[in-house]
Amino acid sequence: MSKIAESVPPKGGFSFDLCKRNEMLVQKGLKQPSFLKTGTTIVGLVFKDGVILGADTRATEGPIVADKNCEKIHYMAPNIYCCGAGTAADTEAVTGIITLILSHVVLIAITSALCYCFWYACNLFYLFNVAMLSLDMVSSQLKLHRFHTGRDSRVVTALTLLKSHLFSYQGHVSAALVLGGVDVTGPHLHTIYPHGSTDTLPFATMGSGSLAAMAVFESKYREGLSRDEGVTLVAEAICSGIFNDLGSGSNVDIWEKEYLRNYMLPNPRTYVSEKGYSFSKKTAEVLLTKITPLRELVEVIEGGDAMEE
Amino acid sequence: MGDSQYSFSLTTFSPSGKLVQIEHALTAVGSGQTSLGIKAANGVVIATEKKLPSILVDETSVQKIQILTPNIGVVYSGMGPDSRVLVRKSRKQAEQYFRLYKEPIPVTQLVRETATVMQEFTQSGGVRPFGVSLLVAGYDDKGPQLYQVDPSGSYFSWKASAMGKNVSNAKTFLEKRYDEETELDDAVHTAILTLKEGFEGQISGKNIEIGVIDNDKIFRILTPSEIEDYLNEVA
Repeated sequence: MSKIAESVPPKGGFSFDLCKRNEMLVQKGLKQPSFLKTGTTIVGLVFKDGVILGADTRATEGPIVADKNCEKIHYMAPNIYCCGAGTAADTEAVTGIITLILSHVVLIAITSALCYCFWYACNLFYLFNVAMLSLDMVSSQLKLHRFHTGRDSRVVTALTLLKSHLFSYQGHVSAALVLGGVDVTGPHLHTIYPHGSTDTLPFATMGSGSLAAMAVFESKYREGLSRDEGVTLVAEAICSGIFNDLGSGSNVDIWEKEYLRNYMLPNPRTYVSEKGYSFSKKTAEVLLTKITPLRELVEVIEGGDAMEE
Repeated sequence: MGDSQYSFSLTTFSPSGKLVQIEHALTAVGSGQTSLGIKAANGVVIATEKKLPSILVDETSVQKIQILTPNIGVVYSGMGPDSRVLVRKSRKQAEQYFRLYKEPIPVTQLVRETATVMQEFTQSGGVRPFGVSLLVAGYDDKGPQLYQVDPSGSYFSWKASAMGKNVSNAKTFLEKRYDEETELDDAVHTAILTLKEGFEGQISGKNIEIGVIDNDKIFRILTPSEIEDYLNEVA
């Protein structure tokens, strides 16, 4: 299990301690919560002289929408971007930038406080953070590689770094990725599965909405699409995921040479209450008012010595 | 002096209070090729001689000025291989800083971390000090900055500095010609003139290297033809 030498923040990286405990609990009869085929629709498409990536923007915590407008298209290199389904997508909902700043221990505490299932949190959200870390780590490794070689990064480099990383975690990092970009050898599109296997495809979909999106691709894809046709097709595929899959929703993000955040907003909030949401004091009936001045309970001493440094 | 008895062990002070190995390292730097840096009002320029051991060497394969981050560059005087190690470490540290704080590393921080590395090699067993002094040029929120880092691990911020073979002449020259309001282009001219002072042979775009960083905060290494243009302006 060779790790490409990037040092992980503080100590040890991923700790497999919890996995033993989980096995022990399962043996004792605890039913393991099933893995959410977590809500996402991400797609990629190769057209005439480039690659288009698309993603929805809903992040879910079980049946609750945690983030209505999260970003699932991540930066790898100026010419390479990566969509993350499952883990990578949810991470942003729960922790955002906290991932990289806080230590793992504190992270578990925060995520478990937010999540309604403590057990679920300890396991899955901890893994989620590692997934986000892995994407950031790969983009840092690519950056250093660019400095050392003086060349632009290639998609296959990103692919190899990601798959080695995921393989070394033996599938515990549940990140399913659609990696796409254009380099000196041309446009490339790959899918990467949590265990580290990869596919190279002209069009690909991942996530819970992948079937809905694939249906659109399979019927309308052809080789030699122009850029606009490609973008329209990708947007259509994501919309199909948004409307037909519960785990996906909100808006459409597109990447084609540049990041088109919220390219389409098919789910705007149309109702705005005229009355507003602030309530006047008369709304609640006051039954009793009792004021206890603190001075009765606390002895206040004026003066005294200054604190010694 | 009793110094010579203490000169072989790095981690032993001599009676005069010096670490003789570091003095020797500075001598190694002093016999390296001249390099210099000038901080202008709107940028920084660093330059160095690129004397190759033979005309048969492919000069396009040699690059003494290196980029550490998009807005920080470095040049060295002394042992080339030592500088390679430091450049690699610095780049990695800059990247780790960015991953942790999500801001590009400030020049002072990078210099401090590089200096720490160099100091570690003066206080460990079985290693020797680096035989290079670095001139780090960067542009961040605090404006243009120029730092020199020595084998001992000490660093200084300079308005203009030189290192290597011709250091005393070069520094005198710079002291005379330095002006705080110089613009970057003029600073490049001054740098070329300073290099020319101690240059043996014909100066051209192929045997010097110049790196600049100006208001756009992007460090660039000038191509030989750009250097030729500046040379023509100066001559």
